[in-house]
Amino acid sequence: MSYSNRGFHGKTAMVTAMALLLFPAGVVAQGTAAPAKAARSTSSAPAEKGERWLHVRVICAEGKGDTVRVNVPLELAEKVLPAVNHDRLHNGKVRIDSSDVDDVDLRALMDAIRTAKEGEYVTVQGNDNDVRVAKEGNQLTVHVLDKSGSKKSQVEVKIPMKVMEALLSAGKDELDLVAALHALGAQGDMELVSLKDSENTVKVWLDSKNVAN
Amino acid sequence: MILLAKAALGLSGALVVAGAYTFHEGVIRVDVDEFRPGGSHVHLWVPAATVPMAMHFVPKHPLCDAAQPAQEFLPVAHALFKELKKFPDTEFVEVNDDEQHVRIRTHGEKLQIDVDAPDEKVHLLVPLGALDDMVGQLEDSEPRA
Repeated sequence: MSYSNRGFHGKTAMVTAMALLLFPAGVVAQGTAAPAKAARSTSSAPAEKGERWLHVRVICAEGKGDTVRVNVPLELAEKVLPAVNHDRLHNGKVRIDSSDVDDVDLRALMDAIRTAKEGEYVTVQGNDNDVRVAKEGNQLTVHVLDKSGSKKSQVEVKIPMKVMEALLSAGKDELDLVAALHALGAQGDMELVSLKDSENTVKVWLDSKNVAN
Repeated sequence: MILLAKAALGLSGALVVAGAYTFHEGVIRVDVDEFRPGGSHVHLWVPAATVPMAMHFVPKHPLCDAAQPAQEFLPVAHALFKELKKFPDTEFVEVNDDEQHVRIRTHGEKLQIDVDAPDEKVHLLVPLGALDDMVGQLEDSEPRA
């Protein structure tokens, strides 16, 4: 082997060794990154099949249209809530004092609504307010229209019966939030809360997309 | 000559491996700019793998003291960071008003927090794995009951 060849072979060996050294690092990096990328969609894409997302959107009409957008996967909330132990919230359940509900037996009330036939339970049409409480399509709907003053406001809340049952499935004087979230996850796409007045628009809804459009 | 080449190869190999290990978890990026007289300007890029490593060298007592006030929230943070990794890149919170813009999102297994206000700008990018490790270590440093 001539001196020049030895130099060439030395350089070739060094380059080859460096390439081999870097190659596994690249493969390892790709090996770990690729499945992660495959499993994660981009921010604008719909979420994975089966994922349910709770969206909250608040738009303020005043100023430049201040907005608040919150997107929470129900599964995440279900996993994180039991870890919160603060004040009345423990293990995903909220303790309620009987004084909070003015001695109303929530469970009995719920049972009565659950077993009752569908229909309009309360209809109030007044000068200041219109109120409507109805059970329709296996959900409880509360609709309030405030006509008093110059600023009219309209609130509509829809609670699926399954969610209400799950909420009250814990022991006495407790609301099971995790069970309610789980039951909510089984529901189809729906609007849960809608509030409109001259200043704000609030919307809470459920779907399988991870973006709030 | 060959000996030198081997030494150089060994050294560069070690550097590459060390570099790959240091950066395999990504980089923690902190940018804070306060627009007021005497306001701080912090711009920090730290390999995420070094933080949990560095926490091993922090004396137990101060770490325990630091973990004490956050004790209640550590299991929540642990559950949150562990679960966040499973979801696609998402904008979890976005607040826009006349002057401020706050955004909390996950992007490529990193938690990104951006605050743009007239008096300050804060941008934080932390790999979720590193956050989970840090919270885990803080949990471990709690005094046992």
